[in-house]
Amino acid sequence: MKEDYLWDKTGEPDPEIQQLEEILGTLRYQPKPLELPHDLPALRQRRNHFPLVAIAASVLLALLAAGVWLRVRTQDESQPKQASAAPTPAAVDEQPTVAKKSAEEPTKQKIEQVRKRGLPPLPRYTKREREEALAAKQQVMLALRLATEKLSLVHKKTQNPSNQIKNQHRAG
Amino acid sequence: MYVTADMLLMEQPQETAVEVTLVRAVLDGDRDGFARLYDLYAPLVHGILLARVPRAEVDDLVQDIFLHAFKKLHTLRDAAAFGPWIAMIARNRAVDFHRRSKETVEINDDLRGSDTHDSKAAEILELIRSLPEAYRETLVLRLVEGMTGPEIASRTGLTAASVRVNLHRGMKLLRERLGFMEGL
Repeated sequence: MKEDYLWDKTGEPDPEIQQLEEILGTLRYQPKPLELPHDLPALRQRRNHFPLVAIAASVLLALLAAGVWLRVRTQDESQPKQASAAPTPAAVDEQPTVAKKSAEEPTKQKIEQVRKRGLPPLPRYTKREREEALAAKQQVMLALRLATEKLSLVHKKTQNPSNQIKNQHRAG
Repeated sequence: MYVTADMLLMEQPQETAVEVTLVRAVLDGDRDGFARLYDLYAPLVHGILLARVPRAEVDDLVQDIFLHAFKKLHTLRDAAAFGPWIAMIARNRAVDFHRRSKETVEINDDLRGSDTHDSKAAEILELIRSLPEAYRETLVLRLVEGMTGPEIASRTGLTAASVRVNLHRGMKLLRERLGFMEGL
């Protein structure tokens, strides 16, 4: 098959192609020694630290985001309890003083227990501060998501350089 | 003709192991390893350049390209992709060459041959150079450098199917331009 001869030099040789090979073969590469300058320093593989740095940055961002999220969550959980535990001004007025004291007792005990354990009491945030913290959390999460997307894109590109070689088949 | 994926895989020669070993050896300071890479890939670079720049310039450019490759080898991330990498350097260098020189001088230089056979070769080469870029490179590697289609695919990083199509379409165009009815 003549087409196979053009492809891999097998099959029935095509006389026209053979003639072309013979004529053009005069232009073929003639082996010559490579002349590398002697003063060129020997190559040493430079380690590419980018993936390690990228992973470290991702982990750091994840930890930061988790920290912010945990803090906001803890705040959210503690606020409703305090609100429910603390009596409304109207209720305070209606309740006798003794009842008010008994309601405060467990809270004080809890605070004392926390102090004994050595944990600092949770700071109190206003509603506005909580909203700001939530907004900050959302921003961090968004930044983290963007960073992850970019990192995965970079990772794909660095892991598969052969993709850059594009198909050169074009119509004439 | 239909080509299956299995056929294409079977046609791809396994040279990557040698390349990887040589590239790693060079990166560890072995200059002889680079000389072997040069022996393996100089015909490829020569063919790529011959399809694009005047013959008189090709040999010097081959040396320049390998010198550049030696200096920049540490930037090659995938050692198995040495062939496609150096092929791309050669193509870029040919583009740079044309930015700096004038086309008219090149053609005259190429057509000047020492004898009839040589001038015929230069004439055919000029016809190949007038073909679309994808065809001319593949045809030069096949007809001048004597590589087979699978070798071209393996060393340039192109798919075997692309090389096959480029070879057949390029050959068809070349036959038309040569006018084989009149004989060579």
